[in-house]
Amino acid sequence: MSTRILTVEDDERIRTAVKLALEDEGWEVVEADTGEAAIEAFRSQPTDVVLIDIMLPGVDGFEVCRAVRRQSDVPIIMVTARADTHDVVAGLEAGADDYLTKPFVPKELSARIRALLRRVRSGDSVLHRLRFGDLELIPDEGVVTVAGEPIHLTKTEFRLLVELASSPGRIFSREDLLEQVWGHGYLADSRLVDVHVRRLRTKVEADPGNPRHVLTVRGLGYKLAS
Amino acid sequence: MSLDGAGTTGVTNGDDTGPSDPTPAASGTTGSLVLPEPGARRRSPVESQLGLRARITLGFTLGALVLSTVIGAATITLTRRSLLAERERRTIERTAENAATLEGQLRNQAVDADLNPVVSDIPAQGPQFLMLRNQPASGEREVRTFFTGDVEEADLPQSLVTRAVWDAKPAVMRIEAGQTLYSAVGIPLPESGGAYFELNAIDDISSAVQSQAIILILVGSVATLAGTALGWWASRRALRPLIMVGEAAGRIAEGHLETRLNAADYAEDPELGPLVSSFNGMVANLQHRIDRDAQFASDVSHELRSPLTTINASVDVLARAADQLPERPRKALDLLESDLVRFTQLVEDLLEISRFDAGAVRLELDEVNLMGLVRRAVSDIADGDLPVVADDALDSELMELDKVRVVRILANFIDNADKYGGGADRVEVVADDHTVAIAVIDSGPGVPPDERELIFERFSRGVQGGRRGAGSGVGLGLALVAEHARLMGGRVEVTDRPDGKEGARFALELPKVPPAAGLRVVEL
Repeated sequence: MSTRILTVEDDERIRTAVKLALEDEGWEVVEADTGEAAIEAFRSQPTDVVLIDIMLPGVDGFEVCRAVRRQSDVPIIMVTARADTHDVVAGLEAGADDYLTKPFVPKELSARIRALLRRVRSGDSVLHRLRFGDLELIPDEGVVTVAGEPIHLTKTEFRLLVELASSPGRIFSREDLLEQVWGHGYLADSRLVDVHVRRLRTKVEADPGNPRHVLTVRGLGYKLAS
Repeated sequence: MSLDGAGTTGVTNGDDTGPSDPTPAASGTTGSLVLPEPGARRRSPVESQLGLRARITLGFTLGALVLSTVIGAATITLTRRSLLAERERRTIERTAENAATLEGQLRNQAVDADLNPVVSDIPAQGPQFLMLRNQPASGEREVRTFFTGDVEEADLPQSLVTRAVWDAKPAVMRIEAGQTLYSAVGIPLPESGGAYFELNAIDDISSAVQSQAIILILVGSVATLAGTALGWWASRRALRPLIMVGEAAGRIAEGHLETRLNAADYAEDPELGPLVSSFNGMVANLQHRIDRDAQFASDVSHELRSPLTTINASVDVLARAADQLPERPRKALDLLESDLVRFTQLVEDLLEISRFDAGAVRLELDEVNLMGLVRRAVSDIADGDLPVVADDALDSELMELDKVRVVRILANFIDNADKYGGGADRVEVVADDHTVAIAVIDSGPGVPPDERELIFERFSRGVQGGRRGAGSGVGLGLALVAEHARLMGGRVEVTDRPDGKEGARFALELPKVPPAAGLRVVEL
């Protein structure tokens, strides 16, 4: 079955043109012109990636993001008008994995989609089963437990955790993480990393304000306490 | 400012605000507040050399000095006069009494008796003279004189003697005898036919007046100093609104358009109230117009985003099918594709520059290894065949940078060298104690000196127009570069190649310590 992408966009021209371009990549595209329609379409059929325009009439993109995230860990890319507004952080907080600004070129969009669809690197024998205190990771099975209880991570959060766990104690710069996890260049927006680390902490840390696993190294980046 | 002031205008303005104005930025703006007035009166040399505040203070000082001098002099004169008058009045009274007594005693004396003992018996406070008329046959005027004290008869002025003795009228006169100043009083003696004189030393009055004068001079000096202090204080008070206006104008010129004067402080003031409200009104208008212009540019770019997204996606679909197209439409598609890249870039630049205009930009500072960033950026931008030259010591240089902006500037320089400079030769990084310069050097025709500032203006088409070829960029790139540099507290400049060969050197100079981040956070 081919990859199915749900695009939520109220501008019919953009929606149609993006659909044509994504179909050229060999993906199946489902369209929705409102937030309500998007939530309905997401419920009724399996979806691999969701592309959401933040500026929607009625139920806005943030709400769609949260609604999708409540049901699924599917990768979400949001489309914003501007990169330097609070929209980006708000969208990431609402559960988006990555973002694009208009006007984007389809090559960029498909590169982002491919990066998010990439499977977690496996087959690395070291990564079969990892323990860090009360945190346990089974990368091949996509399972994370805290104090024996399985927890639910999005694909991006999971990849971020696995990346940090691939070399416990090593400091990963934000640039490293952007390249390894998101497939971005070194100039990408480091807020992507920061927001995802924050979300990851709320799930794996007993006290997210005082983390014991995912640690910030001031001025340098992040590391996983070994 | 008068016409002849043209050459010295800068100096004059600087001095006007200099002593009283703590902000250097405001002195320039104060200058612009001074509107040129045709036919304005010429400034005197003092005015043009001293600041307004110094002039006001000097005025107060001179005023206090003149006032205390006049009051002091008047006081001394009046005091002296009234002391002398009082002393004379008393001397006249006493002399008149003594004259009456003497007249009584003379009745009992022989005509040719020695009258000196009689005279000395009369109690007096100074030298005494008794002059009695003789009537010799010759008719000449002769007197017999008896006297006590150390004053010679000759010291008595003839006019005094004549009036008292011969005209038989009371006479008063100030005389000096033997270094001493006297008040001399002559009272006629009608029965004896002569006059009685008493002299009273009045030196003590002069010395009393002198010591009073010393006190007055001291008081006057204190008053003058107080005048200076008052002038300094008053000028500060009077100029404070002006200084405030200057500072506010300076902040506005720096881009803080939200700056206002506090109108409530001056609402009651009939002179300053209207000035403050019209100043604030002017700034509000200015801000409104700038906001409107920025909003317009932002709206235009915003409106362009959606169709551009559609066009980009559609052209992408077309391009994938390019090999199925006949040659002519394929050529048209190629043109469309390449100009779409330019057009998209232009819209993004326009958006970026409208964000600068609206003040809606901020630094995103990260601590980065400078050379690491430069090498990586250069190899990305120029596909690895552009050498980066730098001192080895710089390899460990860590700087707080907005790396996206630095890389954009570098990319723009390299792109510019490709288009107009025959391709970049090398990138060099040099540093001193406070700044780091990242420069791109090409071996093109260079930039003539008179165009070196112009090329950083928006759409400076005139400059590069002659050298524009197919696929050349739009005229916002270098203007944005200048804005990025300014935001980072640095600057950009273009010079000749340092090694004397033909070519240009485009340099970004950055302070090693960046300006405070997030200084201008405005949502647009």
